[in-house]
Amino acid sequence: MWIKRLLGLSLIFATACKPPTPAEQMESALSWIGTAGMAGKAWLRHTTPDTYTRQTLELSHDKLGQLADELLKSPPPGADSESLNSVLARSRKRIARLEALITAKNVRGFARELDALRADQRLVKRMSDRMEPNE
Amino acid sequence: MKKVLAITLGIVTSVGGFLEIGSVTTAVQAGAAFGYQLLWAILLGTACLVFLVEMSGRFSAVSRHTIVDATRERFGFPFFAIVMVGVVLVFFMVLVAELGGIGLSLQILTGIGFPWWAVPVSFVVWFLMWKGTFGLIENGASILGLVTISFVVAAVKLNPDWGAAAHGLLPGMPGTDKAKYGFLAVSILGASISPHLMYFYSSGAIEDEWDKSYIPVNRFIATLGMTFGGVLSMAALVAAALTFQPNGVEVDTFEQSALLMTTALPKWGFFLFAASMLFTCLGAALETSLAIAYFFAQGFGWSWSEDLTPSKNARFCFVYTIIILLAAVPLLMGIDPIKVTLMSMALTAATLPLAVAPFLFLMNDPIYLGEHRNGWISNTVVAITILISFVLALIAIPLQILGG
Repeated sequence: MWIKRLLGLSLIFATACKPPTPAEQMESALSWIGTAGMAGKAWLRHTTPDTYTRQTLELSHDKLGQLADELLKSPPPGADSESLNSVLARSRKRIARLEALITAKNVRGFARELDALRADQRLVKRMSDRMEPNE
Repeated sequence: MKKVLAITLGIVTSVGGFLEIGSVTTAVQAGAAFGYQLLWAILLGTACLVFLVEMSGRFSAVSRHTIVDATRERFGFPFFAIVMVGVVLVFFMVLVAELGGIGLSLQILTGIGFPWWAVPVSFVVWFLMWKGTFGLIENGASILGLVTISFVVAAVKLNPDWGAAAHGLLPGMPGTDKAKYGFLAVSILGASISPHLMYFYSSGAIEDEWDKSYIPVNRFIATLGMTFGGVLSMAALVAAALTFQPNGVEVDTFEQSALLMTTALPKWGFFLFAASMLFTCLGAALETSLAIAYFFAQGFGWSWSEDLTPSKNARFCFVYTIIILLAAVPLLMGIDPIKVTLMSMALTAATLPLAVAPFLFLMNDPIYLGEHRNGWISNTVVAITILISFVLALIAIPLQILGG
């Protein structure tokens, strides 16, 4: 009797487990671009250590890469997947460049790259807003 | 005069020791994802904790028993053994999470990954337990933990909309992401109503030799200390709402949480966050290790006191030595402390009825408490807590799966 109940519960949990929707993945992508932007802004103000900032940018870069791969496999409905892939790839490159600019201590170059990343974030946000609403 | 000092120190240590990796992680995630909408969960969790902590102190001051030894005495060893397995398993996971929290704080400060910190951090915790006294553990780390007041400064500096924040104190449902909202509500409640505090506080009352004259002191400490602690947790949520939401950041990792105060307090925000997490997780790791050792020693009738030397307390010291050693293993293997934290929140919720239900019986037993047993208000609050715990246990695990 208890085994049956346990199996029933396991089945409920298993069916409740669902992969993230493309809309959720878009939100995550925006979140990681935003994280890189915040970490970059804090570094420009000389308020975070170089190592922490580099590690956070590297984390954002990697997470964004995983999300871009997922979004390439199952593009969000209503989104121009070519433009989306292009802007996500560009954002990743910008984040990688930000990491390199910290090592080079190039503050002016860093500020320029950060502005460009923010512009990309706005673009991804517009794409996300145009998508069909999340279920 | 001695009691005024006890009240002051008690409140200060309750405030400084309230936050730990679970409460901060859940509050920051909630604020980043839902703005002020989950403030009610912190309010409810804090209210429950105030009553439970007050009862724990009253129970020990009047009966001169800890909750653990009274549970074994009143319900017998077989029932006690069931409670022990569930509770100690959860406490162990909390200990792993707290040691991991210290490691993550050191990681963001030094760039050296948290697995490398597992052994040195565990050694420091063990050393403090071995050499320290109860007073040092209770007061030392908690006083350092007062750095968490910076969360309140950050929240106020971000100029929140107080009307909207007040609205968040009432439960509501969001338009989207209901599963995530529910899971975060469960996690916040699980993080707030932490049973290890009940056991630690009850044992502490015996260590500090409280008697019936300490009942008013206990009431002040439990009410003011836990309330101020809850305010700190709310401040973390408010600061997260105003820092992360405008940037579209949903907080999933410790690295992201570290940016919590960089907008409000640009010069010191990052370091204040790291110090806050370092000290509060250290305090919580010490308290949890002690709570586990107390549980075993009181449950099996061994001699126990953090104030005794290890030679007079061999089995008690052996338990925390082994537990701390074992807790370092998952961290050495690189298991993410944030994932352990979230899992331990759900398991805390699942085991709350196990810890709270026998406590309700004890709090109404005239043999232990005489005229000081629970009135209807306390009983109602504990009964509601059990109900909340039961619902939490039923929904926490599927919600964790649904909420990702």
